[in-house]
Amino acid sequence: MSDDVMIRMNQIYKKFNQLEVLKGIDLEVKRGEVLAIIGPSGSGKSTLLRCLNRLETIEKGTIEVEGEFLVQEKNSITTYTDAVTAKMILGKMGMVFQQFNLFPHMTVLENLIEAPILVKNMKSGDIIPVAEQLLAKVGLLDKRDVYPSRLSGGQKQRVAIARALTMKPDIMLFDEPTSALDPELTGEVLKTMRQLAEEHMTMIVVTHEMAFAREVANKVIFMADGEIVEQGNPQSLFANPQELRTKSFLQNML
Amino acid sequence: MEKIIGMVMPMLDGSGITLQIFFITLALSLPLGLLVALARISGIRPLRFAMEVYIWLMRGTPLMLQLLFVYFALPMVGILLPDLAAALLAFTLNYAAYFAEIFRSGIQSIERGQYEAAKTLGMTYIQTMRRIIIPQMLKRVLPPISNETINLVKDTSLIYILAMNDLLRVARTIVQREFDMTPFVIAGVFYLAMTFVLTWLFNTLEARYAKYDE
Repeated sequence: MSDDVMIRMNQIYKKFNQLEVLKGIDLEVKRGEVLAIIGPSGSGKSTLLRCLNRLETIEKGTIEVEGEFLVQEKNSITTYTDAVTAKMILGKMGMVFQQFNLFPHMTVLENLIEAPILVKNMKSGDIIPVAEQLLAKVGLLDKRDVYPSRLSGGQKQRVAIARALTMKPDIMLFDEPTSALDPELTGEVLKTMRQLAEEHMTMIVVTHEMAFAREVANKVIFMADGEIVEQGNPQSLFANPQELRTKSFLQNML
Repeated sequence: MEKIIGMVMPMLDGSGITLQIFFITLALSLPLGLLVALARISGIRPLRFAMEVYIWLMRGTPLMLQLLFVYFALPMVGILLPDLAAALLAFTLNYAAYFAEIFRSGIQSIERGQYEAAKTLGMTYIQTMRRIIIPQMLKRVLPPISNETINLVKDTSLIYILAMNDLLRVARTIVQREFDMTPFVIAGVFYLAMTFVLTWLFNTLEARYAKYDE
């Protein structure tokens, strides 16, 4: 594989009980690329993202991150890698959730420094300046000592982004990061994400924000019913969709 | 007046026994209850099943029966415990079961997203429980824990059947000796004082946890 492919997912199959939610997905993300995944609810796009960082396990397929296999087919048996390798691979990815999932019993700063201290054994003296820098970057340094309940949705999501960044991930995964926000608050979150993209962070963004997908993404995937229906660069996909399902979805969205 | 003071003094001694049982039981059954709760929700099936049986036994039979069993039945199989130890064993096992169920419901009330956030940040299960889940759980279970704790103060009076001179037994002895109901009133006041202090303590704890909302 060429060196600049960061993530490769091959023939991913996933079932919830009898329901097939992913039916043979293939996907590649290159270093510094921003991939937007769009599609109707229930199309499997969030599940795909959650399979990538093992919040869900797949039935069949291979997942490769920066040359290491998280899961692969060995003698036609789908096999996850050992715990140590898995931890190393999963540590390369940061995740931002629709529901923020900040730790409510910790202040903003504590939310940021908890994982580096626990997981990377960093000293608080070393990580606090990093955390403050990230908070400044998302424009929330003045909120460092407040509890998440005091923040607006947009502020919470920006803290969540900063929290994921304290672990220095190579790849950031966004699972509908603005879907739980009031419309007037989505802008500040999208601005932070745009900033990350400009710094060449590799990103996979499951989103309903067509404008963001069009303007920031390098590549857009349209999913429906557990399959990739169409993919391409945003200009051609939005301006000139080839598939009927893509056309009708975009018509409803725009 | 002198007569009342003469009653109060032995009752203070009795309160000592009551408080001793109360504090030691609490100190043992709270951590034990937490361990049982964690075992009860663990992925290890036999462990989970064992905890279910244990909780079923403890909640399904009277505490009085459990006391009698530890005190009278265990010696028959060669386990002879001093009075206080026997009482503490029965109380601790019983209360740990109730606390375990409170802790379990508290842990299970924490949103799945908290586990997922911790996991994607690289935390292990133990780190997640210790730093993320259990601290939040404690805030949520304070009211029911407070309830159980106040129950424990009153349940300590059951040890009168083990012929230990706790507050209530001392009161009863004086009542029977002097044909005077005053000791019962005094005992009631003592229990109220203890539960008042506990209520205040738990209110303070709840106020402290109120520094964050969810």
